[in-house]
Amino acid sequence: MIENRPWLTFISHSVLILGIIAVALPIWVAIVASTHPAEAFGQGSVPLWFGNYATETWQTVLFSAAGNGVDVPVWKMMFNSLVMAIAIAFGKIAISLISAYAIVFFRFPFRSLCFWLIFMTLMLPVEVRILPTYEVVAKLNLLNSYTGLALPLIASATATFLFRQAFMAMPGELVEAARMDGAGPVRFFFDILLPLTRTNIAALFVILFIYGWNQYLWPLLITTDDAYYTLVMSIKRMVSVADGAIEWNSIMATTILAMLPPVAVVIGMQKMFVKGLVDSEK
Amino acid sequence: MAAVVLSKVGKKYPNGFHAIPAVDLDIKDGEFIVLVGPSGCGKSTLLRMVAGLETITNGELSINGTRMNDREPADRDIAMVFQSYALYPHMTVAGNMGYGLKNRGVDKESIEKKVNEVAKMLDLTHLLERKPKQLSGGQRQRVAMGRAMVRDPQVFLFDEPLSNLDAKLRVQMRVEIRQLQRKLGTTTLYVTHDQVEAMTLADRLVVLNQGHAEQIGSPLELYERPATPFVAAFIGSPAMNLFSATLDSNNLILGENESVLLKTQHEFNGPVTWGIRPEHLVVCEQDADFKMRVKAVESLGAETLIYGAIDGVNQDLVLRLSGPHQPEINSEIGLKAPQDKWHLFDANTQQRLP
Repeated sequence: MIENRPWLTFISHSVLILGIIAVALPIWVAIVASTHPAEAFGQGSVPLWFGNYATETWQTVLFSAAGNGVDVPVWKMMFNSLVMAIAIAFGKIAISLISAYAIVFFRFPFRSLCFWLIFMTLMLPVEVRILPTYEVVAKLNLLNSYTGLALPLIASATATFLFRQAFMAMPGELVEAARMDGAGPVRFFFDILLPLTRTNIAALFVILFIYGWNQYLWPLLITTDDAYYTLVMSIKRMVSVADGAIEWNSIMATTILAMLPPVAVVIGMQKMFVKGLVDSEK
Repeated sequence: MAAVVLSKVGKKYPNGFHAIPAVDLDIKDGEFIVLVGPSGCGKSTLLRMVAGLETITNGELSINGTRMNDREPADRDIAMVFQSYALYPHMTVAGNMGYGLKNRGVDKESIEKKVNEVAKMLDLTHLLERKPKQLSGGQRQRVAMGRAMVRDPQVFLFDEPLSNLDAKLRVQMRVEIRQLQRKLGTTTLYVTHDQVEAMTLADRLVVLNQGHAEQIGSPLELYERPATPFVAAFIGSPAMNLFSATLDSNNLILGENESVLLKTQHEFNGPVTWGIRPEHLVVCEQDADFKMRVKAVESLGAETLIYGAIDGVNQDLVLRLSGPHQPEINSEIGLKAPQDKWHLFDANTQQRLP
């Protein structure tokens, strides 16, 4: 706002504050709930201030067992989720970089056909091809393994497309200069292309990490062993107990822990993320 | 140092377009050759063919006696300076300059020594740790040249390297490039569309028109004896006055109704293009060959350009006089065209008449 009117400032601030409350309240409630015993939430009241049960809840959740139905501590599931998210993010980036490199800089027969085939897989996310993919993974004996968790999600048309655009924006004379300087395909890729797409890679990493971390359906389907449970799917497991009380305190603690890594990644890479999407140094 | 020979080198695109039919060019060791022509004449394509960035579809290119047609650009022992400089934005100046050597497996100390040596020559020593983004246009241009020089190539190729600089820097860099080339003695091929740049830099000029080499020769040769009206119009600023005329039994007839008749001694009879440079016309009160009606005057201080037309000839004429002059608009100036300054071209074959 350019004008300096007190009531306008007042209104805009109140709207902002209301928005923040709307977003932050559930998180606050979750934190508070994790400090009360399990029954407190089930009785219908929503406590708004800390209880005195915090240490017990967090200790059980973190180190012994997350809650009914899930017998693994949260740190173990967090590790699983982390492995999956990082494997998916790095796998997607590596494969997309290589395929975009091939499509943009090399002339081979059926080049544009290849690109369009990759592009068409946009229409086939995991949810659509889940049964055949499950069958393939099962036949490869990859159920209950990190490979099985990450591999089927790695192929990515979106990332390939993004890198293709970034590579195509590379000035032609730069490519030619590298050629004159005797940089072969591999050198050119590592010395010129990779450093120049650094910011794009960072931006993509943020998006893909969150995508991998939030995977729910796929891990639910292919893991039957507690040792490979991921955090996000376990929360659902903890809620749907057939008999007995739902342990809301443990669930809330787990939820908060599940939120932390994506938040950390976003905050940590925010600068590069914006840079990667907005400007380029070319 | 090397001699470069192009014999019948041509380029035909897959769609059938003949960008360059066949160019013959014999570049001597250490020579500075400038390829000049209007945009779209194929000069950059020809340079890129020598560089190996475009394939040669016919003819043969040899550097130092070795056939180069099918060699990779990096294996031709040449270096190129690009119009946009094409510096690697993520590398320092030193990194940019040493990259070619690094790829050739030269050890670190030798690279550093060579880079420092060249940086000193180009006055870049204090900038070695900077990134290209932090440099001015002129400095980037120097780095691009340094990158070409560190490798001690057989041939330098320049693709309109000065076109991104402002006028003052351009003149400065032009002089610098010439001096460096003299000092290093490296065979150089330089592309430009600016005829002043071409005239001042070249040992020999190649004027290209639609893929043909119209004329190859020293700048003065081209100025004094242009082979075709195209070269005549292209070399020299302001451009030569060219008129369609007819040679008939020792008379040069200009315009309709034989409005201008000039006496001459010539065996040729028929339609010709007659040319005379603006600086070769002589003002005279009596015995004028023809009179020019003044249309516009440009006073540049050291010289004056007078634009006008001859009555009865519907083509404009430029006159260049040294020093300041203030002729009235619409006044008439008597002019003499000395015969030894004439340029006559056969209108049909477009070739110079002897």
